[in-house]
Formats: sequence, C-alpha cells, structure tokens
Amino acid sequence: MGKVKAGFHAFFKSIGGFFKDFGEAVVKGDLFVKLSLLWVGAGYARRKQFIKAILVTIIQVAVIAYTFGFAPEYVSKFATLGTVQQESVFNLQTMKNEFNDYDHSFLILLISVISFVIWFAWLLFYIRNTTAVYELQKRAKEGLHINTFIEDCKELLNQKFHITLLFLPVLGVIIFTIIPLLILILVAFTNYDQQHMPPSSLFTWTGLTNFINLFGGGGITVTFGYAFVRILAWTLVWAFFSTATTYIGGILLSLLINNKKTKAPKIWRLLFVITIAVPQFVSLLLVRNFFADGGIVNTFCANIGLTGWLRDIGLISTSYIPFLTAPIWAHIMIIFINIWVGVPYQMLIATGVLMNIPAEQLESARIDGANPRQIFWHITMPYMLFVTGPSLVTDFVKNINNFNVIYLLTANFFVTANQAMANSQAKETDLLVTWLFTLTQDYYNYKMASAIGIVVFVICSLFTLVAFNQMIKGDREEMFQ
Amino acid sequence: MKKKTIQIITHNLLLLVLAIIWLIPILWLVVTSFSSYPGINTSTFFPKEWSIINYKKLLFSADSVAQFPNWFKNTFIIAVFTCIISTCFVLMVAYATSCMRFKMRKPLMNLAVIINLFPGILSMIAVYFILKTLGLTNNHLGLILVYSASSGLGYLIAKGFFDTVPASLREAAYLDGATEFDIFLKIVMPMSRPIIVYTIISSFMVPWMDFVYAKIILNSGISSQWTVAIGLFNMLEKSLINNYFTQFCAGGVLVSIPISILFFIMQKFYVEGITGGAVKG
Repeated sequence: MGKVKAGFHAFFKSIGGFFKDFGEAVVKGDLFVKLSLLWVGAGYARRKQFIKAILVTIIQVAVIAYTFGFAPEYVSKFATLGTVQQESVFNLQTMKNEFNDYDHSFLILLISVISFVIWFAWLLFYIRNTTAVYELQKRAKEGLHINTFIEDCKELLNQKFHITLLFLPVLGVIIFTIIPLLILILVAFTNYDQQHMPPSSLFTWTGLTNFINLFGGGGITVTFGYAFVRILAWTLVWAFFSTATTYIGGILLSLLINNKKTKAPKIWRLLFVITIAVPQFVSLLLVRNFFADGGIVNTFCANIGLTGWLRDIGLISTSYIPFLTAPIWAHIMIIFINIWVGVPYQMLIATGVLMNIPAEQLESARIDGANPRQIFWHITMPYMLFVTGPSLVTDFVKNINNFNVIYLLTANFFVTANQAMANSQAKETDLLVTWLFTLTQDYYNYKMASAIGIVVFVICSLFTLVAFNQMIKGDREEMFQ
Repeated sequence: MKKKTIQIITHNLLLLVLAIIWLIPILWLVVTSFSSYPGINTSTFFPKEWSIINYKKLLFSADSVAQFPNWFKNTFIIAVFTCIISTCFVLMVAYATSCMRFKMRKPLMNLAVIINLFPGILSMIAVYFILKTLGLTNNHLGLILVYSASSGLGYLIAKGFFDTVPASLREAAYLDGATEFDIFLKIVMPMSRPIIVYTIISSFMVPWMDFVYAKIILNSGISSQWTVAIGLFNMLEKSLINNYFTQFCAGGVLVSIPISILFFIMQKFYVEGITGGAVKG
C-alpha cells in the first residue's frame, strides 16, 4: 500500500501548496491584488492587461448572475428535493386546466449538482487568479517583462500548450461522465423509482435505505437481498472464469499458431480473427438462436441421441437441451460462448507479446542447451506474465462490467423460474450491470440501480487497488523514451 | 524424418478442427442469409432452397420493420462525426499526458483510472436525463455527443505509442525555436501514422459495434431513426423473428463485411504502432 499512501501524501501536499500560495498572495499583495478579491480583473487592469481584465470580469459577472439569478430557485430546495407536488388546476381566466407551480425533483437534483460543479470550478479559478495577479505584482516590482494579451495567447500554444490540448476533452468528461456519475451517486440515497417519477410526483432523500434493502435488511423488499447475493456470486464467478479461460486459451492458441510446425500461420490467424471482426450484436444474437430450445443444435443433439441419453441419466427433464434457458446450463454455455468470442482477442495480444520477447534471451537459452519446454516455462511464461499481468486485472474488471455478452445472449430469451428472483426483476444469468440496466430501462427503479452501480464501483476499485499495488513496481512509462 | 511429417500433419489438423469450431456460427450466418425461408431453419444446417431474396428485400424494399438503408446511413453519419471528434480528443489527451510535464498531469491520470472503474451504463442513465432536458434524445446529435464527449478517457493506447517517441527529438526541435504546437503538429504527428490510423478506425467502429447506448438514447420506436445495431436487434423480437430471421442474417453479413475489413486494417496498424516500425528516430 506504500504507493497509494505516497500518492495521497503528494495529493494533500499539492492542495496545501495551493492554499499557501493563496494566503501569501492575500497577505503580501498590494492594493490591487486585494482589490481583485472583489473584482477579479483589478490586478490585470493595474498591469495594463486590459483584455484579460475584461475576459475575467465577464466570467465573474456570468457566475454572479448564475448564482443569484438562476441557481437559488433549485439549489434552495436541494435539502428536500421539492415539496410542491404537481397538480392540475382549473384556470378561470383561460378556462383550461393548468399545472400549478410544481417542483421537479430531478431538475432540482440536476441543477444543484451542476451548480456545485460550477462553484467548485469558480473557487479554483478565483484562487488561481489571485495568485496569478500576485505573481504579476512581483514581476512588475522586479522590472521583468509583463506579457501582452497576444503573448499570453501564444503561450497557450507553447509552454501552456497542455491547457489548450486538454480543455475540450476534460470539459467533455466533466459534462458527460463526472456530472452524471455525481447525480447517480446521489440518486442512490433517494427513493427515485416508478412510484416517485417526476414531474408527476416528487422523490426525496431516504438515507441508506436502498443499501440496507440491497444487503438483505428491510421488510417488504427483502428479495432484493436474496437476488443481490446470488447475482454478485455469479458476477464474480463469471469474471474469474471468463478472464482465466480466455487468457489461457489465447496463449495456447497463439503458441499453437506461432509454432514452427504450422503451415501458413497468417491464414490460421485470419480464420480465428474473423469471429471477432463480426460485430458482437450480430454474432452473439446469432449464436443464441443457434443454441435455442428448438434450434439447430438441439435438432442435431436429438438426432444423434444425445438429448435422450442426457434425459436417461437425469441431467435434463425436457425434450430439448436448455442450453441458454436453464440456470446451470446457461451459466456454463455463456462461459463457453465467451471463450469463442474472447480467445481470438487474447490470441492477438499474446502474439504481439510473444513477438517482442528479446531474441537474445531465447538464443542464449538455446545455446545453453535448454529444451523447448524449459524455454517456455522459464522465459516465455514469466515474460508473458510480466507484460500482460496488469491487463489481467483490467480484463477482470472489464468482465465484471461485461454487459454485451450477457445481455445479447440472455435478454428476452432467458426467463427465470425463480419467483424470488423475478420479484426483484433479476434472473440467474444477470450480472450486476445487466441487472442495473433492466431495473432502469424496464422498471424505472433508479434508486436500486444507482445503489448497485456504487457497489460495482467499490468491488472494481478494491480489485484494482489490491492487484496494482502487488504488480506495479515502479513507473515504467519513461523507460523507452 | 517420417515422425516429423506425422507431427506436422497432426499439428495442422488440430488447428483445422479448432478453426472449424470457431467458424461454424459464421458459416451458418452466411448460408442462412441465402435461405428463401424467412424464419429460423431448425432442421438442417444448410438452407433447403437458396435465394438472394433477403438481400433484395433488405436493400430495395424497406418496410416498417426493416429499414436497412436508413439504418446504414444513420450509423455512417454518426460514425463519421464521432470519429472526427474522438480522434482529436484521444490524440490531444495522449500527447499532453505523454509528452508534456505539468502539475496536474498525475492527478488527472489517476482521476481517469477512477472514473473508468464506474460501469459506463450508470452514467449513461443520467446522461439520458440530461439530454432529455436539452431535447437531444432520439436525436443523432445526442448520440454523437454520447460517443465522443468522454472519448478522451480512452487515451492510454495512444499514450503508450507517444511514450516511445524519443524525447531527444522534441528537445532538439525546441532548441531550434519550435513551439510546443509546432512540435505536436509538424514533428510528432507525421511520424505517428500507425497510431493515428488505429485511433481513427477504432473510433469509427464504435457506433457500428455499440448497442447499449444507442438503445438508451434512440428509444422512440421510430424505426427510420435507428442505427444498424438496434434495427437488427429489433428484428429478433419474438413476434418478428419468424418473418425476419434470415433478413437479420443478411443484414449481419452486410454490416460485417466493411467492419471486418476495417478491423483487419486496424489490427495491422495496431501491431505497427506497438512494435514501433515507423518510429525509431
């Protein structure tokens, strides 16, 4: 855990430095630095940076207008998420039914979160601005050159080019990932579901109720706990087996193809890669019909007598093999089908890594008289694990969130027979993410979906944190530069 | 010598068996698309009667369910715009994090790791509401934003490539008076062809491969607005599957051909980018 600790240490140190600079600027700054605490453009105007002064003033005016003109209506209701329910009122003047001035809980939540983000950004800007103005004061005192506006712009293409590069991508991530995540994290602590759908009704804070229900407490919704444990177990089993099988399979296949005995390895590789070049929604939807109850594989199995034999030994009780429609069968089949989808990917990665094994090492081992098996266990595998080890962890996390394979193979196809599962809108083959998806798309149960999402995040971060601390020894990113 | 020949034959035979297992479903896709019967053929592997009627129907006589030409056009437009925005974002973030040194570099990279741990679907649910407030659901612009706005998070592969560009090259240019912008555009970009092509193709393929986000954003049920993925998925609804299964297969073949070709090109450039064929300054 040393690295993490060091990371936190550096993080807080940089925050500390940030505020220290601010304090110094406030204390030692001249009149205009202090004035710029009120009017952010003051310091720039004093140093004749008028365009910059105008620009920051515009930002300040915009933030003030937003804070006092627009935000209060919503943010003030953040604590309750609204109290006035939508009602239809008959208006005597227009002779029509009209809605009252109702509260929209989701809009209140959304605009509050956006406001918090804007205010946080403003705070950073404000502090940064004050220290920048103080820097200007110091430069002026020492008689150093003070940039004109054009020079400032040129800096954005030179020393500060990273700001230009990162501005839009980071803005995109903030709007389309961070703000949505914050909202959904907050929703996990509300009762936002089908009975509490804005605009027709309100939702409000409920504290940890959703998590208590999810972990098996609570009265009526006790089935959520029932389904959660089972789905969590299957998610972990699935993530382990899908990662392990495709990883090992990929290495074996790449060794098989890259063997000297193979004729025309490129063509073999191409044949396997065709499977993954076809979009998953085509190949997986096709495969699920391939293995359908009345599908072609079942016809074939019935013809060769496999179905009858399985029925005789009691493995199935139906007239077909329920490849993707009975719990245990479906679990095993999904992992097998995932081998079909995943092994070619891993084969490509493994081939790339194998080609990069330093040739001198293999050569010297051969000269020392090592046989192929020894070379494999003592050079190839350790190298392979060294290079692909970290990606095993990311693969595991990806598989916990592997929506496509599970959803495409089982949605509208696998129907659970377990009433307790069905009560919480889950089925045996669901992963946490597909369960979350069904809850929101078909049942509008946003509160539970958000709670599940947070649990998924905690699980993923635990695995990543532990594994990476074990694996990464030192930073290698500059090794090749 | 004879023993060796047998070894070679069994070795290649094993590969052949594996390849057949891997290709059976794909073969079934192709042969079924040429069946004259519209539903699922459950009794024989090959269709009883061959015909190209599915392709004809799919391409020239669109009905309320199957509007393949429309879907293809929609997906193509979305893919082009997504590709332009994402490629710029990915290359910009990758270059900034790899080649430039600034205070916030490490914190930003750590933040990206943390964000990537949240299931993407979770944020999508809120994105849907935000887009709905802005009136951008059931709208291709909304979908383009969804695909490209956060694409900067997928910068790691490109960063790995830029990490191999020798720092001395950039330093030399800097000493000669080039600005960081010049170095980015005139020195590093021209020698990064493999990774640029890789990024372009992979971001172009996102809308063709994706199914979930399109389903969340384009949920109006108006078939002409859909992308290929949701259109084909819809053909397998219980009430439609018996009339459209072979058309689904035909559509699958039609979309798989260009995607496969792009995929193979991408693989080539990926390997080139990783092994750094072009960059040994």
